[in-house]
Amino acid sequence: MKNVQICCIIDDDPIFIYGTKRIMKEVDFAETILVFNNGQEAVEGLMEISQSGELMPEVIFLDLNMPIMNGWEFLDEYKNLPNHNTEKTIIYIISSSVDPRDLERVKNYEQVNNYILKPITPDDLSNILKATKT
Amino acid sequence: MKTLAIDFLLKKAPIAIAMVDTKLNFINYSNQWRKDFTLNNSDYIGKNLFEVIGETPGQFDKDLKKGLKGEEIENLGQKYILPSGKLQWLKWKISPVKIDDTNDLDGLLIFLEDVTEDKKEIELLHKAEAVARIGCWEIDLINNSLYWTKTTKDIHEVSEDFVPDLAQGINFYKEGSHRDKITELVGTAIEQGKSWDTELIIITAKGNEVWVRAKGEVEMAKGQPVRIIGTFQDIDQTKKMQLAHEEISERLKITTQTAQIGIWDFNLETNELLWDNEMYQIFGVQKDDFSGVFEAWESTIHPDDKEKALKATENAVAGVKDFDEEFRIILKDGSIKHIKGTSKTIKDYNGKPIKLTGANWDITNLRSTELKLIRSTESFIETFDNASIGMALVSPDFRWLKVNKSLLNSLGYTEKELLSMKTLDITHPEDILASKSFHTSAYDGLNDTYQLEKRYFHKDGHLVHVVLGVTVVKDMNDNPSHTIAQFLDITDRIESEKRLQTLVEVTKSQNDSLMNFAHIVSHNLRSHSTNMTMLTKFLTMEEDEEERKNLHNMINNAAESLAETIAHLNDVVQVKTGTLENLKSIGVLNTVHHIKKSIGGLLEEQNAVLNINVSKTHFVNAVPAYLESIFLNVITNALKYRSENRAPIIEISSKIKGDHVLITFSDNGQGIDLKRHGDKIFGMYKTFHKHKDAKGIGLFITKNQIEAMGGKINLESTVDVGTTIFIELKKA
Repeated sequence: MKNVQICCIIDDDPIFIYGTKRIMKEVDFAETILVFNNGQEAVEGLMEISQSGELMPEVIFLDLNMPIMNGWEFLDEYKNLPNHNTEKTIIYIISSSVDPRDLERVKNYEQVNNYILKPITPDDLSNILKATKT
Repeated sequence: MKTLAIDFLLKKAPIAIAMVDTKLNFINYSNQWRKDFTLNNSDYIGKNLFEVIGETPGQFDKDLKKGLKGEEIENLGQKYILPSGKLQWLKWKISPVKIDDTNDLDGLLIFLEDVTEDKKEIELLHKAEAVARIGCWEIDLINNSLYWTKTTKDIHEVSEDFVPDLAQGINFYKEGSHRDKITELVGTAIEQGKSWDTELIIITAKGNEVWVRAKGEVEMAKGQPVRIIGTFQDIDQTKKMQLAHEEISERLKITTQTAQIGIWDFNLETNELLWDNEMYQIFGVQKDDFSGVFEAWESTIHPDDKEKALKATENAVAGVKDFDEEFRIILKDGSIKHIKGTSKTIKDYNGKPIKLTGANWDITNLRSTELKLIRSTESFIETFDNASIGMALVSPDFRWLKVNKSLLNSLGYTEKELLSMKTLDITHPEDILASKSFHTSAYDGLNDTYQLEKRYFHKDGHLVHVVLGVTVVKDMNDNPSHTIAQFLDITDRIESEKRLQTLVEVTKSQNDSLMNFAHIVSHNLRSHSTNMTMLTKFLTMEEDEEERKNLHNMINNAAESLAETIAHLNDVVQVKTGTLENLKSIGVLNTVHHIKKSIGGLLEEQNAVLNINVSKTHFVNAVPAYLESIFLNVITNALKYRSENRAPIIEISSKIKGDHVLITFSDNGQGIDLKRHGDKIFGMYKTFHKHKDAKGIGLFITKNQIEAMGGKINLESTVDVGTTIFIELKKA
């Protein structure tokens, strides 16, 4: 099974990032892992990549509750990124929130592929791989 | 001719007679002539006629000349005004005397009579007849002829030369009862010689109806009626007046009967009291039982009114003042009547009162109606004054005419103040239009009553909510004169409704925030627990010592974070429960100083300046620990998010806003992009700055604390200029 070239994690929780990275390694999920600690950092980072013509991440794992710019705001900004291959990028929301309002709200965002409840498991990653590569 | 016998006869004739020759010289004359027509008794035989008798009418001269021509002339009497102006009626006969058997004229025999006195009398009679409109007539029963004098003819409106006959005379009487009556009277007179005197209507020749009085007297001869003489008088005016009077009297009688007005006469000289039937009715006395004296009347009067009535009677009798009183009488059956009595005192030529005439009528119904009205008015006034709801009488031009105590209490004005105002003066501007339109439709007669919920301003400025019930009062002509307004003060109800509404809103927002809170709690607790689960799993699988140590650290951190989160939750939960009971009056300035002291080190370290402009007199109702926590939070936030380019300056000021104190914290820090974050500024775990200590809990707790104390928090901010936080708390 072929893995993902670049994967991006946007989350403010260092423990979650640690754990996710570790699991990704275990299943050899991605070649490169980009990490941003909040929406604002992510928007700026991705903008840089896009402008420099480098490869954009294939998969983004996005947390909702973050300081400065949360996941929702990131999604709004993301739409405006001057990128020609954003449609190839698949966004997964990874959150601890079981708030039904959040689950409902996700439906309004086309770019979001799925909503995954924390913690993320090796099975989740395998499924994502299957989905992206078929 | 000159015989002694003739001379003697002539001399002694009881009439004025004279013999003259053809030269009009006296041959002889009677003694009566000498007496009537000569100036003295001297003998003037042989003297000329005109020398002796002086003034004569011209006609007499002419007639003498005719006589001398052999004509016999008779003048039956004419009125002459002599050249001297003297009025004389003369009657004469001039006969030519001829010499025996020849046609030669010997002289004239003159018969002359002065009838002035008789004629004057007749003339007077005629005049009197005409003036009195009394004519005469005569029926000659032997010839069956009828004679009318001039006035009689005038009354019949026929010409003077009209000659009536008996049938015509009767036909002038109006057909029907009048003509039948005269026919009968004349018939009886002829048959039985009975005189009559009657009043009947004739229709004149010109068709006018005239009342006449006809009198007839029969003259008998040898037991047979031969003539009826009578008078005929125009009594039209008198009769009509009499009839009119009778009509008026009758009408008056009917009126007094219908109106039940009793009329009485009291003869002061005989102490005789005369009552009409109505009086007996009013006093409930049988005619036969009434003694007809003053005392009989007096005895019916109610003891309490006797003095008043007798005094008034005394004055009337004395002619001082006419009787005009109301008094009560007690009837035989014990019932009481209210009587109104008036009288006139009639005096004789000397001004001595001789008679009282008066009227009495029963005003019991009027009095009892009046009494009822008074009672109803009294009970209205009593209700009005003591009603627990506000009541007022309001004029068509919105003036207060009368107000009760309850209304004054509701509106806070004195009666004097309110009566000088209009209702619209203190009506809430938004309610004026509705008030006017209801008012107008009521006065236009579209509604007799209406209800309206409206607002007035209390004298001290607060709103008074009332349910206004208005009833239109109409005058005797059924036109609206004013309104009775009832004011149900529902201010308390409205206030409590508002409080309830606020409570509902607060509860709703608390419910919302609790909902949020629950999700945040679940989110945070889940984050920590999943992290710990994950880390423990890694730990069991990890064999590398370094990595295991690292994992241990991370588990510790996760546990600490969990503890911290739980501490935050605890803070929040505490704010949410039972705050209002612990409110105390706290000086704002004191608290500010206290905080300034406690963070003195921090301020110094950051070269921060606190400009405090808070009044010493501003006290708020607050939980002391909350107030400190709020101020501390706001000030430390200002320091935490200070601008990197300038030393922090924080302005703190306070002012009174209604029943709240507004405390303002103004800094010159980084500011917050309100466009982006405005909606979640006070949200839990919302952070907007890249600061390691930003937890997103401070403002959330601050807001909760303020709201728990019934206050409000708001902020204005401009990025890189500064933030101003407005805190409103209830004035103590």
